[in-house]
Amino acid sequence: MTDPQIAILMLAIFILTIFLGFPVAFTLMAVAVIFGYYAYFDADRQWRGLDRLGEDATTTQYVGEYLGGFLNNRIFDLFVNQTYSVMSNDVLTAIPLFLFMGYIVERANIVTRLFDTLYVTAKRLPGAMAVAALATCALFATATGIIGAVVTLMGMLALPSMLKARYDVSFASGVICAGGCLGILIPPSIMLIVYAATSNVSIVQLYAGALIPGFLLAGLYMVYVVGRAALQPRLAPKPPESETEDLSYAEVTIRLATSFFPLAILILSVLGAILFGLATPSEAASLGALGGLVLAVAYRSLTWERLRESVYLTMKTSAMVCWMFVGAWTFASVFSYLGGEALIEEFVLGLDLTPIQFLIMAQVIIFILGWPLEWSEIIIIFVPIFLPLLPFFEIDPLFFGILIALNLQTSFLTPPMAMAAYYLKGVAPPGVELTQIFKGVMPFLVLIVTAMVLVYNFPGIYLWLPNAIYG
Amino acid sequence: MIAAIHFIDRLTSWFGRAFAWCILIMTFGVAYEVFSRYLFGAPTAWAFDLSYMMYGALFMMGGAYALATNAHVRGDFLYRLWSPRWQGRVEVVLYFIFFFPGVLALIFAGWKYAERSIRFTEVSVMSPAGMPIFQFKVLIVAAGVLLLLQGIAQVLRCLWAIRYNEWIGHDEDVEELEDVILREAREKGLGGGTPRN
Repeated sequence: MTDPQIAILMLAIFILTIFLGFPVAFTLMAVAVIFGYYAYFDADRQWRGLDRLGEDATTTQYVGEYLGGFLNNRIFDLFVNQTYSVMSNDVLTAIPLFLFMGYIVERANIVTRLFDTLYVTAKRLPGAMAVAALATCALFATATGIIGAVVTLMGMLALPSMLKARYDVSFASGVICAGGCLGILIPPSIMLIVYAATSNVSIVQLYAGALIPGFLLAGLYMVYVVGRAALQPRLAPKPPESETEDLSYAEVTIRLATSFFPLAILILSVLGAILFGLATPSEAASLGALGGLVLAVAYRSLTWERLRESVYLTMKTSAMVCWMFVGAWTFASVFSYLGGEALIEEFVLGLDLTPIQFLIMAQVIIFILGWPLEWSEIIIIFVPIFLPLLPFFEIDPLFFGILIALNLQTSFLTPPMAMAAYYLKGVAPPGVELTQIFKGVMPFLVLIVTAMVLVYNFPGIYLWLPNAIYG
Repeated sequence: MIAAIHFIDRLTSWFGRAFAWCILIMTFGVAYEVFSRYLFGAPTAWAFDLSYMMYGALFMMGGAYALATNAHVRGDFLYRLWSPRWQGRVEVVLYFIFFFPGVLALIFAGWKYAERSIRFTEVSVMSPAGMPIFQFKVLIVAAGVLLLLQGIAQVLRCLWAIRYNEWIGHDEDVEELEDVILREAREKGLGGGTPRN
């Protein structure tokens, strides 16, 4: 077997082990160390100490040098260096801070207020409740970046209200599922930080690039919801006048000022500080976390218990993401040292694809990987396989990242691992079936693909903002 | 056996939770830097070092705790279909092939790395404050040792699962909000069970 073939074997063993359900981070570490030991094995170098022993060396010295030789492999240095570079990576430092902000905001009793206010604000629109649910999901998901929480919270709160108002089950649940996933796309998204650390694209540029595509997708969702409700009023019947609260503009404004604006302003200032270069992403994230704490205090929801939960959950989730980096970076070094990367490159270039064919192939593979795997595994482990190929097809890694972020929305919405749909099913009132949820999600999948096509055909969508800010 | 598992759980969780509070130090420290820069026109010399040290300490020391509470990502779409007995059988083998070699390498390599750093009490070159950095490198070894211990506990858990066909849980008291809501929804008779974990 040649070295590149061994590299492919290494990848195959790793993928097999993932499918057996072993924690990915440690599998990566161990596979990297085992294959790395082989890759960097150099008998002359490892047992050099033996030659240096003089004639008068004792047996103990001799045995010591001999055994020590086994541990002289360069893989150990590589491993610890990669570990340290994850520990001191200045992009990844933003992850725990944004997570912390998310966990605090998640526990700040914001969702009910937000939904009620947006509902009275949007009252005159067709499908007002669905519009409010979508807007709540989008805003809340953007602030927390965690999809599970927003889908379950909204499933407990907005879904029963919508069903009570005789909304169509599929329509109502599709809105919540799709809206809840926007958080991984719209900055400050944690997924984009992870992509930035993987691809070496500047996180600031990436945020600037993803902002308009994020709003574009949210906008498409909104147009769809309003349009469909207007065209098919039986999906989202207008509640009778007697049941809706009648508030004056002043009252609506006050409600908005206490529930919608604080959170919106918090997100916008975090983003603004990053985009205009006033603060690094980590600095902005720490201000965001601080703002989240203030918000929680203002809403009288900050208890010792909730703070403690947020702190511990921040650590667990950071550990989950960052340990994967430790393994993945070591794995990637060994893989490319063995020539695996070159082999894949040769193979893909041999297919003689046009850039658009390559792009479609890559996105389809990522889409399929999204069925069984989570976004973190896909970005940290599988996306690096595509990244070195991008220059050959003259694809901007920033553009590629935005397409992935759009694409991975689908992985939460399509079976068999449709996290968002399962979460919603888990909290839905009896009588809501998974098939109904999937049916409601389908139109949103079409919109996601539409957004990807738009972004491809009109690069201005992702280029305009970075160019306008950074020239 | 249960006593041993819980002892290790408690130990690693204690360290994990203690280091989790780094997030607060990090939040306030980094936010202070921003205030100091814009309000007092005096950037600090230490905030950058502080931020990555807190972040590094946080996630490294949390690794074992996350393992104990099953928070690490796993592609468990097949795994969760098996009985605990089969899960245990497969997992115990995988621990020896795909866990211990990596973790032992981490401890060994980390020790060489940290020892060199301690010997000349290395300081950071990233910022003018010259913060000592050797203790940060020692964390690699510490994290490795915690993982090794937790790995032993996990192997014991597997053995238990093989024998009694049930898993020993972690006496964990924090849960993701969605898990709390899902559990409460189940208790109220909503949903139809959740397929996750």
